Amino acid sequence: MFNLPPPDILLQLSLNGALGGAMYGVAAVGLSLIFGTMRLIFLAQGAMIILAAYFVRTLFYGLGIDPFLSLLIVVPVGLGVGWLMYQGLFRKAAAEEDRNVSLLIAVGLMFLVQNLMTVIWGGNTAGVVTSYTASGIELLGVRTSFTRSMGFLIALAGTGLVMLFLRKTMVGKAVRAASEDMDAATLMGISPHRVNAIAFAIGISLAGAAGVAVATTFPFNPFAGFIFSLKALVALALGGIGNVTGALAGGILLGLIEAYVQYFISGGWTNAIAYGVFLLVLMFKPEGLFTRPYKKA
Amino acid sequence: MSRTLQCIAIVVVAALALLPFVPGAVDAYYFSFLFFIFLYAIMAQSWNLVAGYGGQISLGSHAFFGLGAYTTAILWTGNYLWGSLYDKHPSIYYFDPVTMLLGGIVASLAAVIVGLPLLSKLHGDYFALGTLGFGEIVKVLFVNGGDFTGSAFGIVAPAGMFDTLRPHYWVALGLMVATALAIRALMRSRYGLALIAVRDDEMAASANGIDTLKVKVAAFAGSAFIAGVAGSLYTYYIFHVGPDSVFDLDWMLLPLMMTVVGGTGTLLGPILGALVMYAVFDLARIVVPDYHPVISGLTIILAMLFLPKGLMRSFAGRARTG
Repeated sequence: MFNLPPPDILLQLSLNGALGGAMYGVAAVGLSLIFGTMRLIFLAQGAMIILAAYFVRTLFYGLGIDPFLSLLIVVPVGLGVGWLMYQGLFRKAAAEEDRNVSLLIAVGLMFLVQNLMTVIWGGNTAGVVTSYTASGIELLGVRTSFTRSMGFLIALAGTGLVMLFLRKTMVGKAVRAASEDMDAATLMGISPHRVNAIAFAIGISLAGAAGVAVATTFPFNPFAGFIFSLKALVALALGGIGNVTGALAGGILLGLIEAYVQYFISGGWTNAIAYGVFLLVLMFKPEGLFTRPYKKA
Repeated sequence: MSRTLQCIAIVVVAALALLPFVPGAVDAYYFSFLFFIFLYAIMAQSWNLVAGYGGQISLGSHAFFGLGAYTTAILWTGNYLWGSLYDKHPSIYYFDPVTMLLGGIVASLAAVIVGLPLLSKLHGDYFALGTLGFGEIVKVLFVNGGDFTGSAFGIVAPAGMFDTLRPHYWVALGLMVATALAIRALMRSRYGLALIAVRDDEMAASANGIDTLKVKVAAFAGSAFIAGVAGSLYTYYIFHVGPDSVFDLDWMLLPLMMTVVGGTGTLLGPILGALVMYAVFDLARIVVPDYHPVISGLTIILAMLFLPKGLMRSFAGRARTG
């Protein structure tokens, strides 16, 4: 167990871990935005990812649209669904002080979406098999699958776009201000409902993007989403809540941890160790591993 | 609670306690239906203690429920420790109060061990996330527990023991009443005042000389104790304790939901919530069997949209204004 494996295996492990972890990362970026403005643990994020995956599958087998091309449909639909979801379900609850209410609406939504998917597509495991699913690319002597690498690129691009939006646009700055201090932001004339809705829209469209990555890479079933939500939460805590690039980095780190634990210890302990790291980070570095602590004025 | 309400409560409990003597009642469907309502009401009270009165949103109740269930199953079948005693007298642990108590104690010990670091370091959402992580860790520990916990399959208790649901019914009813009375007494004591003070303003509470960490950990441990005893009771009903059944997230989510629907931080809210929500779920299960989880999800969303303060508060508020 303590013999270090040859470097090429180590490299292969790291690559697989990082590519898989990027998917947790992109889910975590969405969670981070929603948590940032609404302080809501959006447990239904995983269910939304799987819903998007089924949507992609239907587009592929029904209309013959290539899964990666369907990003052009899924992402805008996600924006719209997220906006409507906020206006219809969370708007009233966000105005209340009691955050149990919005947490429970998220839980109810998770139940609803999971079971609607079961009713529509059945509870069996589904997948998307394209002509390039089995193909791989070789880079520096390590092999990886084409779809995983595409998933990684999607995660990078999604996070990059969100970063640009938050840094460069006025609306994005408003979202950032609201996540830092909602009261102060409201006093500056930022409408809380507007930034909440934007955060939700972006969060769900990122779930859509993650859904494309999941659909092309893994087999999935209606109930696979919850574990995704949990993993995204871990990634979120590792990266620092409210930190977008940190969330992606946290996801990649989580993927690496999982890959190493699977190889060096045993697959059965992966989750325990992932959550153990999660608890330790929450306790000793709650601001996340990739942020500098705020300088107290 | 007003006098009339007290009288009503006593009459209802007495009627429920006598129900098993009605001929045919034990074999009727609603008998097990009531048993589950009692069980969920106990779990809801458990969550209400730490989250409703204490203001610490815990998402780890299922871990304590499962710990109580596993403690009972392990003591009962005695995989390792006292197999011989079990072989001779398999009934000795069936509804054994000491075993049930131990289920609660193990759960509350775990709550103290994990609560001390979590509650001293984490606040609000971070505490909720931490307890969620804790629940998952406990589950994995039991899956990997080897022969001691029966791994992924779990432990099978001697189901041949079962002949009637009556003891389950009475014990569940008794525990539900006892939990409610205990919480009522607790909330009228100095400790209850301290707990409410910590919930409403932790800094002010600590400025007034309350050891906030002690109060919070005690509430967390008390809540875990109740959940552990409930888990123990469930073992006597289900006879098969497995990681996917007793550590199921539903054991946290459903009581949470019932409490919020009934009214957090109220004494009767969790019981009312358990009754209403379980009835809705069960009705959906009978009327539209294929869609019932969809209906459950929809019910939660609708309840939260239109009754965000819970049934108890909505009606009490209406009575006062109208």
